[in-house]
Amino acid sequence: MSRPNRSERGARLRRRSADVRRWLERRALALTTLVTAGVLAVMLYLPVGVVFGEAVIDDGAATLAFFRAVLTDPFYVGVLADVFAEPLAVKTHLESLVGWLGAISVAVSFESPLPGVSLPVPWLALEVPPIRKGLFGFTAYQAALSTIASVALGLPAAYVLANYEFRGRRTLRSLTILPFVLPGIMVAVGFYAMFGRAGTLNQGLALVGLGPIPFIEWNPLAIVIVAHAFYNAPLVARVTVAAWESVDARSVETARSLGASPRRAFRDVVVPQLLPAILTGALLTFIFTFMTFPIVLALGGLQLATVEVWIYDRVRRLAYSEAATLAVLETLLSLALTYTYLRYESAQSGLARAATAPSRTPLFPDRRTALSPRRLAIVGYGLVTLVVFVGPLASLVVGSVTDGSGFTLAHYAFLLERQLEGASYQTLPWVAIRNSLLFGVATLAVAVPMGVVVSVVTVRAGRGGTIVDTLAMLPLAVSGVVFGIGLLRGLVFGVSLPGGWQFRVTGGVAIVAAHAVAAYPFVTRNVSPLLSTLDPALVESARALGASRYRALRDVELPLVASGIVAGAAFAFAISIGEFSSTVLLASGSQTYTMPVAVERYLGRRSGPAVAMGTVLLVVTAASFVVVDRVGGRFER
Amino acid sequence: MTELRLEGVSKVYGANGTGTSALEGVDITVRDGEFFTLVGPSGCGKTTTLRTIAGFEAPTDGTIRFDGREMGDVPPERRDVGVVFQSYALFPHMSVAENVGYGLRFREPPDGVTVDDRVADLLELVDLEGMGDRDPDQLSGGQRQRVALARALAPAPDLLLLDEPMSALDAQLRESLRRQVSRIQSELGITTVYVTHDQAEALAISDRVAVMNGGRIEQVGRPQEVYREPATRFVAEFVGDNNVFEGDVRGRNGEYSRIAIDGETFSLPSIPDGADRVTFCVRPGALSQAADHNRLPVTVETSEFLGETVRVNGRWNGRRVVLQLPAVPESAELTVGFAPDDAHVIDLDRD
Repeated sequence: MSRPNRSERGARLRRRSADVRRWLERRALALTTLVTAGVLAVMLYLPVGVVFGEAVIDDGAATLAFFRAVLTDPFYVGVLADVFAEPLAVKTHLESLVGWLGAISVAVSFESPLPGVSLPVPWLALEVPPIRKGLFGFTAYQAALSTIASVALGLPAAYVLANYEFRGRRTLRSLTILPFVLPGIMVAVGFYAMFGRAGTLNQGLALVGLGPIPFIEWNPLAIVIVAHAFYNAPLVARVTVAAWESVDARSVETARSLGASPRRAFRDVVVPQLLPAILTGALLTFIFTFMTFPIVLALGGLQLATVEVWIYDRVRRLAYSEAATLAVLETLLSLALTYTYLRYESAQSGLARAATAPSRTPLFPDRRTALSPRRLAIVGYGLVTLVVFVGPLASLVVGSVTDGSGFTLAHYAFLLERQLEGASYQTLPWVAIRNSLLFGVATLAVAVPMGVVVSVVTVRAGRGGTIVDTLAMLPLAVSGVVFGIGLLRGLVFGVSLPGGWQFRVTGGVAIVAAHAVAAYPFVTRNVSPLLSTLDPALVESARALGASRYRALRDVELPLVASGIVAGAAFAFAISIGEFSSTVLLASGSQTYTMPVAVERYLGRRSGPAVAMGTVLLVVTAASFVVVDRVGGRFER
Repeated sequence: MTELRLEGVSKVYGANGTGTSALEGVDITVRDGEFFTLVGPSGCGKTTTLRTIAGFEAPTDGTIRFDGREMGDVPPERRDVGVVFQSYALFPHMSVAENVGYGLRFREPPDGVTVDDRVADLLELVDLEGMGDRDPDQLSGGQRQRVALARALAPAPDLLLLDEPMSALDAQLRESLRRQVSRIQSELGITTVYVTHDQAEALAISDRVAVMNGGRIEQVGRPQEVYREPATRFVAEFVGDNNVFEGDVRGRNGEYSRIAIDGETFSLPSIPDGADRVTFCVRPGALSQAADHNRLPVTVETSEFLGETVRVNGRWNGRRVVLQLPAVPESAELTVGFAPDDAHVIDLDRD
């Protein structure tokens, strides 16, 4: 009699499953956080830890011998080697510093800067006695030059974008984010296609009977620096425009009414608000160019080796301890720089949206003023940017369908032929394309949830959140090559676990892990600002109405930050498509190479196939941007 | 319905309970169906009190009970409270109807009605019939606040918590919305805790009022009690205009006590024996030129015309005095007085 009938049992079962679901919902946030922390520990901290371990452990014993060897070798640290060798001999070091300073001289002379063209130019010659910079010194030197070039090229753009109105201004402003996600190796090949012996520039010169001028061989450093400016000048322009647009026009008007001239008001009110942004941009540029890899590798090779390129070379030669030691030193330096940047950024985070944005004047109001010196200067600057930014990409496309004599499809035919007839050990184009797309989608699937979880945990966590934020932002300070070594030595070669077990992650999984770890900070960077501007009362209202923390996240917060998530996803995909540094290490000798790796491998022989492959990469990257644009993503927040 | 009881609730911010103290032993009982208001200056702890009731913050010490059930670490979603915030906190990506119906995703509508009917009923209750399809950003501030109220009430909560719900609205709208909230509350008979910094609003709307200051309750009582018989100097000065004086007790005069301030003698209602110092207050309206007791000469400094009356700020013996007169005084000097029974004794002291 008392046996439960079927409907009762069904009801109980339903209640049970509802209980389970509620239990899961209540802990969903904690569980995803735990999973994210686990992935970060295994895929980020373990590899970086392995690199650090490799640098300080020799035959199972802790040692600083590797560091001593690097720090006292003039090849690495230049003149500082003596200082590291004998840090206490202060007097000797000071004397040599004074002697060096005394030998500096400045002179003005006439020189002909272009070889083969006798055009005398007054030249301010700064005679500096030679100084041995060493690998680290050179890396910092080229980073400093790149930073100066990027600021010089970026500031006029910021000025024009912030002060003038013209058709396409908003589009141009959005486009400043684009170079940042373009694959480095592709840009390097673009510069090849433009400045190389058979490049578009020399083809143009040939039309007027000049050249060919071997720009790259003649001054590879200059080309590398222009390529770095291609990447970072838009970044400088971006942060500066943002600061410029947040200057309250009323504060300038107040200064004017108090007696300041336009020039004076600009100096006293606007400039102090721009300087922090310019410094931020410069600091970021320095960090990025200090860790530069594909551009130097492709354009300069070992003769221009930066720390990063040298580490890559050491790994290729299986000198792991030396590579690890260099990697640790590089990471410590970039960590210090990144920390400075983060401190600086948070110190000026009070940057509020302007009550009244400054007004913009039309760039070309009428024909009469079109020829004013200022407007002519802007036009001239526009031409320079056209050469620097459009030139390499256009040359890439043009170079893929031309050879020395005219239009040809031979480069693409080579790719097709390789695909159809190539041996399995050769680099096949379709495999590279397929891998890139596959890894891109997989990266998206891993990096977006990770990035969102880190945002949710950090935004509402107060001071504890800052620590988590810093730990989670580590990938920004660890270069791709360093991370690649860690993955290679840690996960690909395997980690021994107690009980004779081995933990290994190889092939595509390792590459996706590397891409996801590199990409998720960009998801976080896109989502966190939106999340932190949401009224906390929204979540509290939802919870008072009966929603669990997870439901409040799903129903309220995520829909409201959707645009940030889509933008972050676009970044994640683009970074995966373009990632080169760690992929080239992990994909060596396997079937998991991607498009950027294929470009570099083709570059070894003739440049034609590499240029064609680079164009394919450009098309795929551009297509993914169009798709994201169509589904409503924005590339800025 | 529900009786709410707070017993010795304290809240300390900062690590290990060593930081700043926001609440210091708050004891409150809100009776079933009562409209109860927490009023005080900003930073007095009234919002923190509300947030501990809702479960958004855990008290460092003390207990909170709904009908005797200890709330402890019950999360907000299982407390059955409706909350309305100053910022409305409407979900901008949902329509008005979706906002009102959001709580019904987690709780069945009461009385077996459908979700749609319940949402329609509540929109009607707040005079927003037919607005369900609008987006929140198409509504005015007052309409948004009514949507927030309807949303909080939809799941038929045991307790309604209102955190400065009208501070963002202009004065006229505030008054009409206040009457509407008051009507809805008495219609539903729902136990309500209302937080405001506006003492006039608190007096106008509440069954009972708790005046808070510095994380403590200064006084709990009906609006008339709090206004006429302030328990502390803080309450006397915070609730309405007031003149607070301190004087020395100088013996009796029949049924009145004699008080000296700066050598002038005043008569006050009888004060118990043994007190030497007295603090008392006199409302501006009780000071009149016609009164023939307790006269004090006042130098007029400023006059504010308020319509029915004029508020006059002046000085007597260097002390600030506030008067409420029927017209702007014609001379800068005038003399006012007050009846002994109009003075309210706040505090007594021994030397």
